[in-house]
Amino acid sequence: MLAAEIEDLLRRLAPQVLGAVVRRYGNFDLAEDATQEALLAASLQWPKEGLPDNPKGWLIAVASRRLTDLLRAEQARRRREDMVTEWALSEHRARPAGERGPGDTDDTLVLLFMCCHPSLSVASQIALTLRAVGGLSTAEISRALLGSEQTVTRRITRAKQSIKDSGVPFALPAPDAVPGRLEAVLRVLYLIFNEGYASTAGTTLVRVDLAEEAIRLARALHTALPQDSETTGLLALMLLVHARYRARTAPDGSLIPMADQDRSRWDRDAIEEGIALITAALPRGPAGPYQIQAAIAAVHDEAANTEATDWPQIVALYGVLLSLDGNPVVALNHAVAVSMVAGPKAGLDLVQRLGSDARINADRRFHAVRGHLLEMAGDPAAALESYRAAALVATNLQQQRFLNRQIARLQDLLAAT
Amino acid sequence: MKYMILTLASQQDYQELAGQPSARPSWTQEEWAALGAFMQAFNQELLDSGELVETRGLSAPVHTRRIQLKEGVPVVTDGPYAEAEEVLAGYWVVECESFDRATQIASRLASCPGPEHVRARAYADVRPIDERQPDFEG
Repeated sequence: MLAAEIEDLLRRLAPQVLGAVVRRYGNFDLAEDATQEALLAASLQWPKEGLPDNPKGWLIAVASRRLTDLLRAEQARRRREDMVTEWALSEHRARPAGERGPGDTDDTLVLLFMCCHPSLSVASQIALTLRAVGGLSTAEISRALLGSEQTVTRRITRAKQSIKDSGVPFALPAPDAVPGRLEAVLRVLYLIFNEGYASTAGTTLVRVDLAEEAIRLARALHTALPQDSETTGLLALMLLVHARYRARTAPDGSLIPMADQDRSRWDRDAIEEGIALITAALPRGPAGPYQIQAAIAAVHDEAANTEATDWPQIVALYGVLLSLDGNPVVALNHAVAVSMVAGPKAGLDLVQRLGSDARINADRRFHAVRGHLLEMAGDPAAALESYRAAALVATNLQQQRFLNRQIARLQDLLAAT
Repeated sequence: MKYMILTLASQQDYQELAGQPSARPSWTQEEWAALGAFMQAFNQELLDSGELVETRGLSAPVHTRRIQLKEGVPVVTDGPYAEAEEVLAGYWVVECESFDRATQIASRLASCPGPEHVRARAYADVRPIDERQPDFEG
């Protein structure tokens, strides 16, 4: 077995092993450390000595042994500190031996709920999810998030401490709390996915690993909750967007807008899978924002080029999205889609109405879209002013260069007339 | 040990980089692309060797806000910069075995492509990060 395959296997087993150990012994905090050590031991031992007959059983055994040591050490420490505390199996963990515990997919789900607990900051939720469910080491997480290892370690330690303090049992939340908690899990996975596309220092590091990790986690969540349409929608959205990543970046790291992308480089398999998922989810009932965004991505992915895109469909979908989420950026995208169907003037009318929103007035995208539509509507002088306003508020060099090119072009155009 | 590699630039440099029509000579599309490709490879190499802790580029000085006391009261000023004044433009934090290794990494920036007048003036600084080492290993 190749090292990469072993790593893959370990990452898949990580939440299952952690789930089994926590269910058996409680103490999420130390169980997590013990699981990490078992994973590390396996990654060193297995490539040399080959896979054990039962890899998961091996990991659980090693993690349990390690946990026993850690618990003994902690007990000794407490005795030293003269604290008369006991750690005992709590009620819900002390099941009769014959009773079967929940399955592996449920463990993944419980862990996700735990890592995305509302008492944790979003940054901690992300770090803890990557470690406890994703099975990434602290060093890998800090590299992926471009943060220092100390910060990530501190975040994880603190997060585990607050889980311990809050006394959250290792179990699914009460049924009425599930929707709210699931929303937090979906948001964390979505943020991890977007983090994979963050750019830095005048160049872009598309951190494919992180985007793929988010897809892997969303897939695990979808396996645990196949009937939840928003979970399906999020997985579909990730697949449909990530399908374009190879065509999205020029060799120098600059972003290529969708209209100019070489669509033959889009990942057909990912598109097919995403479309199948969203097609299955949509008829199931009122669609949430992830499903609608996935549907929009699907319409783009199905088109051979910008002209062949089903813009009326996209306008309708943005209309639905707007009714769910009044975000001005969504409204801006809606206006662009409208201009593709009904012409630049119709789009401009919508954009002008947005101008009164202070949030969007300070946004580069508002002025850039306005400039684009004004030029299409035959008013280059007003377009120039809009592009200038956009360049003034833009803070990214790549985007400034794009805007300045438009400014130079319009200046030349106006000078020639 | 951790080291910070710093690069500096003025508002004027930023305007040339951004291709502002009034700021000539600005970077051509080819020069810009070459810069991006160089940085991409530079960062990727540090990522692969495990020495990159983090790297960031900062927006133009014009987007600066400065907070300082004026007669005992904190006052915020927008964009307090002189056109030619050089300020921090970007940095890398690297974790490596020695100051010499960090210097070696930074000296690779000398082959960063760009217009000749920019290359002639450009420099990078390497500074050890002030980290307290444990007095003894217990």
